[in-house]
Amino acid sequence: MQRNQRIILYILLLIAGAAWTILIAESTSVAATQGISAPQAGFTAPDFSLKTPNGETYTLSELKGHAVLVNLWATWCPPCRAEMPAIERMYQEYKDRGFIVLAVNMTSQDDAFEVVPFIEQHAITFPVLLDETNTVATLYQLRSLPSSYFIDRNGIISEVVIGGPMSEALLRTNIERIIP
Amino acid sequence: MLTSFQDIFAPPRHLILLVIAAWAGLLLTERRAQRHGIETEQINGLAFYSIIGFVIGGRILFAIQNFSAFNKSPASLLAVNPDLFDLTGGLATAVMIGLIYGQRNQLPVWSLLDAFTPFFAALMIGVGFSHLASGTAFGMPTELPWGMELWNARRHPTQIYEIIASASTFALVWIRRPSPYRGVDFLFFTAITAGWHLFLSAFRADSTLVLNGFHREQVLALFTLAACFVLIEWRLTLPDTPQKNSLI
Repeated sequence: MQRNQRIILYILLLIAGAAWTILIAESTSVAATQGISAPQAGFTAPDFSLKTPNGETYTLSELKGHAVLVNLWATWCPPCRAEMPAIERMYQEYKDRGFIVLAVNMTSQDDAFEVVPFIEQHAITFPVLLDETNTVATLYQLRSLPSSYFIDRNGIISEVVIGGPMSEALLRTNIERIIP
Repeated sequence: MLTSFQDIFAPPRHLILLVIAAWAGLLLTERRAQRHGIETEQINGLAFYSIIGFVIGGRILFAIQNFSAFNKSPASLLAVNPDLFDLTGGLATAVMIGLIYGQRNQLPVWSLLDAFTPFFAALMIGVGFSHLASGTAFGMPTELPWGMELWNARRHPTQIYEIIASASTFALVWIRRPSPYRGVDFLFFTAITAGWHLFLSAFRADSTLVLNGFHREQVLALFTLAACFVLIEWRLTLPDTPQKNSLI
């Protein structure tokens, strides 16, 4: 191909690319994830309502206005156990700024009698919820433990961290992004 | 089959797919390196130092950007959390180390880029598969018959589009006769990749919107494409660029 022919081809391709970019920009002026609930960054966090071992009920959607960490865990999962002290430290550090942790125990895959001793042993002060019917595991399409969802004050998932244990720096970085 | 794949390579195991792609790409690069006047040992040395630079640079740059978080818990600098990583910083460090290595071993930059083109092309396939496994880079909702269920909607299978496009690009790069001009093979690959990104990013629902609604990936791809065209023409006009051991 001659140089002049190549340059004409380049110009045509760039004009077509620019036209395609403008066309798409005009048709997608709002975020495509708006109003849909799914366990992925950018979407509204799927809502749930669960009880603590003491019978206290927590509903995620009622916590709008707060920065929320939903942590899915089990007592038999070593990284889940390892990250609990760091989560507790971060909870103590940020709770006065509107940060809440909902530690959802996968009770249907765990030994329910292990949960309370675990809470006492690790001196956990944030709410630990029992998912006895696998509801949250299904809603959050759980594949690996631990799984953590950092949710901003509008109920939108800001960051998803699958696997662990999460270090303090990772927790702090993500909490700072969602804190009101 | 798709569900089984996503179960096996669910995050954080999806990163294994990137490692496999990088390893395969490196093997293929070794096979073709001599065409560009570069020895296998030089390829391995450059890859080794660049990978180390990628890992350390990505972590350090992430720490610099989030200094207050690391200042309070400096031990986190050594934590095994892949999320504590700045991809752009990692890539920039890897490129810098690669350039320094190339300069010290007197390797021409454009020949190096040509030699590593199969590596980049294979890595792009790995990126597509890792997106598919993790469900990231997901598509817009669609009613088309080939749409797939993801994140509570029927969506464009953008990850599969990405795999098909990157695999086709790889095939094209692999079967194409090498250009006698240094850098043109790499620029050809980059232009093709930017081209399909420009087209396919339109179907992604996770794009960051910039400048009143433009998809950031499309804007970047358009500028990359324009830069590639200018550089290709520049390389083709240089009289002294034909590379060693060229097949043409």
